[in-house]
Formats: sequence, structure tokens, C-alpha cells
Amino acid sequence: PLWRSVLRELWDINFAPLTVRQTSAAMTTLWLRVSLLYPDHIPTSPLQKALLAAGSAGMALYDPYRHDMVAVLGETTGFYTLKVLRDQMRRDPEGTQILQERPRISLATLDMDKLRSLPEGSFGREYLRFLDVNRVSPDTRVPTRFVDDEELAYVIQRYREVHDMLHTLLGMPTNILGEIVVKWFEAVQTGLPMCVLGALFGPVRLSARKLHVLVSELIPWAVHNGHRAPCVLNLYYERRWEQPLAALRKELGITAVPPCMQGLA
Amino acid sequence: MAAPRSYVLWSYCGRGWSRLVRTCGPRGLHSSLPAGSLGVRFLSQEKHATQTHFGFETVSEEEKGGKVYQVFESVAKKYDVMNDMMSLGIHRVWKDMLLWKMNPLPGTQLLDVAGGTGDIAFRFLNYIQAQHQRKQKRQLRAQQNLSWDEIAKKYQDEEDPLGGSHVMICDINREMLKVGQKKASDQGHKAGLTWVLGDAEELPFDDHKFDIYTIAFGIRNVTHIDQALQEAHRVLKPGGRFLCLEFSRVNNPLISRLYDLYSFQVIPVLGEVIAGDWKSYQYLVESIRKFPSQEEFKEMIEDAGFQKVTYESLTSGIVAIHSGFKL
Repeated sequence: PLWRSVLRELWDINFAPLTVRQTSAAMTTLWLRVSLLYPDHIPTSPLQKALLAAGSAGMALYDPYRHDMVAVLGETTGFYTLKVLRDQMRRDPEGTQILQERPRISLATLDMDKLRSLPEGSFGREYLRFLDVNRVSPDTRVPTRFVDDEELAYVIQRYREVHDMLHTLLGMPTNILGEIVVKWFEAVQTGLPMCVLGALFGPVRLSARKLHVLVSELIPWAVHNGHRAPCVLNLYYERRWEQPLAALRKELGITAVPPCMQGLA
Repeated sequence: MAAPRSYVLWSYCGRGWSRLVRTCGPRGLHSSLPAGSLGVRFLSQEKHATQTHFGFETVSEEEKGGKVYQVFESVAKKYDVMNDMMSLGIHRVWKDMLLWKMNPLPGTQLLDVAGGTGDIAFRFLNYIQAQHQRKQKRQLRAQQNLSWDEIAKKYQDEEDPLGGSHVMICDINREMLKVGQKKASDQGHKAGLTWVLGDAEELPFDDHKFDIYTIAFGIRNVTHIDQALQEAHRVLKPGGRFLCLEFSRVNNPLISRLYDLYSFQVIPVLGEVIAGDWKSYQYLVESIRKFPSQEEFKEMIEDAGFQKVTYESLTSGIVAIHSGFKL
């Protein structure tokens, strides 16, 4: 498409500023600003993406509370994987619907009262319980900024918003062990480099006992379920609030939660 | 070709489109987009009377103040860390050189405008105190044979270590001042400091009050630089000195290219990774490019009424210290 060739041309200019004079630098920035693909888009050169990926990986390891760094790492390293994911979604009817309708999960779009009124054991009710027990909110996700394709930007945004759903489906709490388990599941499911890196480097800060539990029980369980389940991004979660959680788990082939983590989510 | 492109821009940019309309100075856009079909009048090379620049964006003058305020509000907490990271610690040398050039004597009344986190002010106090200590040491060496009366008198006279010097730190941004105040108490500076919330274009001080006026890395963020210079002229005593430390034009072409590469590629990434704020640091590097050159700024200072205006470029022109006197 036109915008892609414009963008490629601009990337070339921006990546080789040794041949660019100051006025041209201004022009380039202007053009990049003009060629925004979505409201929060920040066009970046390949060099900037590489620096961002390295910097965000280091910062995420140094300060695990910087969730925005994990997000940036995902955006800068996941371009090709997102394409594969998007194609997977296109092959599935529910996934195509999601790509067309682009539902968003936030406090504004969720009907909390309706979810609260759902019967116990239903997916929506359990999701709400998960949010309450772990004191998280669907609004704390940073918007996508560094993905240079508007549809892929939505795919990664959807992946982030679905993360909480995965916690509910897998029955994992939001402590460090639970997050690592979910990361392993996501790594197997999506293949995103950020998930793989997070899965491999996340356990670095764990105690030996937790590491033992993780390696012996939780990781095999997560990997096994990740392989068995169809692509979790293909589920239109907003239409499945009433579905009982047990039935949803059976549909995805997710086996029982390992005993050490039961009752925590 | 033009029609599909404008459609693409229209459908994708929305908000960005209005920015495009205002920033269509460059010639490239002028020829490629049909003005009539979108009902928009392009501005060509002349700017609107009340338009100014915010980095490479064009905004109205009322907007610029607010946007600059937001930038500094969000960077305030990580300001010092980011300064160290971005300049690899060299900003400390620059600020020290400003103080060496200033060479204040005890009793100086300093006004540090846009001095939010207090770097210049603390250096000023340390400089005066160091001078005082050196003076005391010299006195001690000279006075080895004192009479008992003189020794007793020395215990009674509590000499002010600052010698009457005082620094007024003025900043338009409350968050920056808060960070500065915390730093002051952490570093143990108690006396000789006053924190004032004020606008460089309209200083809340009377005429002829200060001996030295400094503004370090602040004047490029002011909407009306000439007004800030006139205010500087107003509040200085006759014989007072104006000192400005600011980013300027690099004179060496090779270093200029490396500097551009570093500024545009690395600094926003550093801002995102360390402070979680890409856009503020993008604004920072763009605002540096927009600031006038050493000679142009010298002329602006002369226009405000200062005399004996000189400048010294540091680090091949990455920063420059401009100095002028009110005579």
C-alpha cells in the first residue's frame, strides 16, 4: 500500500541521518508525524527499535514493576510473530470477527454490573472475581505505540487485554509464579519473542523452592496446555461471559489447575 | 497520486491531520496536496501572527506555555537522572563552567530563572562557601599570634558563611520546584535560598534587584524569548550581569551529524526506557534545533539593552554561555 512505501522511504532517511541536514531532519520528522497509522503511533527507525528492544529488556529485568517496558519489548520484537498471529486469526471465523469488529476490553466497555449479576462459575463472574481478588483493573494497559502496522497494533493490544482472561482460564494469580506460568502458556501459544524472553528470564529472581515447583509441575502443565489449546486470541470473550468456566476450559482442553496453585485465583 | 494519499492521511490521521494543516510550511507538502479538495487554506512560508513552534510542531502561542508545562511536569522526577544519562554526565561540567565564568563574590544576589531542580543555585552556594573557607584558611595562616582578646572576639562573632549572598530560584513549574526543594534538604542547603513560582516573561520582582541573572537550559522553552530578556534587563541592578547557558548550534559538521544521530535516535529511546516518556524527550531535541544560533541569540540579547555581550561555545557548540551586562 501507499503508506507502507512512504513509510519505508522515510525509515531509510531516518535511519541514515549522516546524509541528512538539519532542515531535512525537520522535514523527516514532519512526514513521520503525518504518516501516523493510528492515534498513538510513534514511528521509529530500525535503529531506534533495536535500542528500544535492548533497553526495555534490560529495564524490565532490572525493575519488574515496569510493565510498560514489557509492553515496549513486545511491540518492538514481535512484528513478524504478530503477522503469523494475525493470519491465524484470519483463518478462524471467530478470529476474523474480532479483527473486523475490534472489540476493546476496558472499564468503559465492560458492563460490570451485568458481569456481577451472572451466575457463579460462569466465565464473566469468575473474571470479575479474578479482578477483585487480585486488585487489578483492565485499564492499566499502555496503548500500542511502536508497531508499524495498524492491524498488528490491534492484534497486540488484543493480546494484552486478553492476558487477564488467560489468568482466569488458567486459574493463575497475579503473583510472580502465576505470571511466569501464564507467560509460558502464552509463549507456546503465540511465539512472541517477548513471551519467550519473559518465560526464560522471569524465573531468574525466584527462590530455589519456588523454582523447583515451577520447573517440576507448573511449566510442564502450562506447556502441555499451550500446545493442546487452539489459539486463545480467536475467542470472542465478550460473547462468552455466560458460558460456564468449566465448559470453556473443556473446550480449550485446559486440564485441572495443579494442586499447589488451586484456589489462589 | 495526491488524492489517494490525502484520503489515506485523512482516514488515518484524524487528529494528525489538523497538525498537518498547521505545519505545512515546508515546500514538499505545498505542491503535493490539493488545497481545494479539502477546503483548507495552506499557510506557505509565512507563519500566522500568533503561531509559534513546539519542537517541530507549530502551535498557537497560548498552547505552547501549557504544553511546555506538561512536559516538565511529567519529567520532573526523573529530570536529573535523565540529564546524566543523556549527556553522559557532561552537563555537570557545563554548569560548573557557568559558575567559573560567573565567579561570584560573597554578597551577590543571584536570580536563577527556570532553575527548577536547583543545579545552578546549589553550585552557587557551594562556590561561595568554598571561597569563604579559603578566606578563613588564609586568615588563620596569617593570624598565628593572636592576643587572648582577639581569640575571645572570634568566638563571639558568628560570621555568615555566605557573606550575605542569596539566590532566588524562580521556575514556572511547581513540580520542578518541589523536586528542587527536596534536593536542597537532602544536600543540606538551608540558608541563602528562596523558591519562587514565577514566569520568566513576567518576573514577580521589582526593578534593579539582582546582581546576576542566570537561566540555564530554560530560555528555549519560553514562548517569548525577547520578553524574558527584557525582564532580565529590568530586574538587574546597573552593573548587573546576564548569563545564559543553553544548547546551541554545533560548529563542526562531523560532530553535528553525530550529534543529530544521537539526539534523534538515542535520546527519545532513553526517555522511554528510563522515564517512560518518549514524547517529552522528542520535544526536547526538537526544541534544541529550533533555538537560534549563537550569533542570533547574541543579537537578541543586545536588542534587550545589554552591552558587552559575548558568548563562549562549549563542547564544539553543543552548548553556549552567553553573557551580557546592564550598564
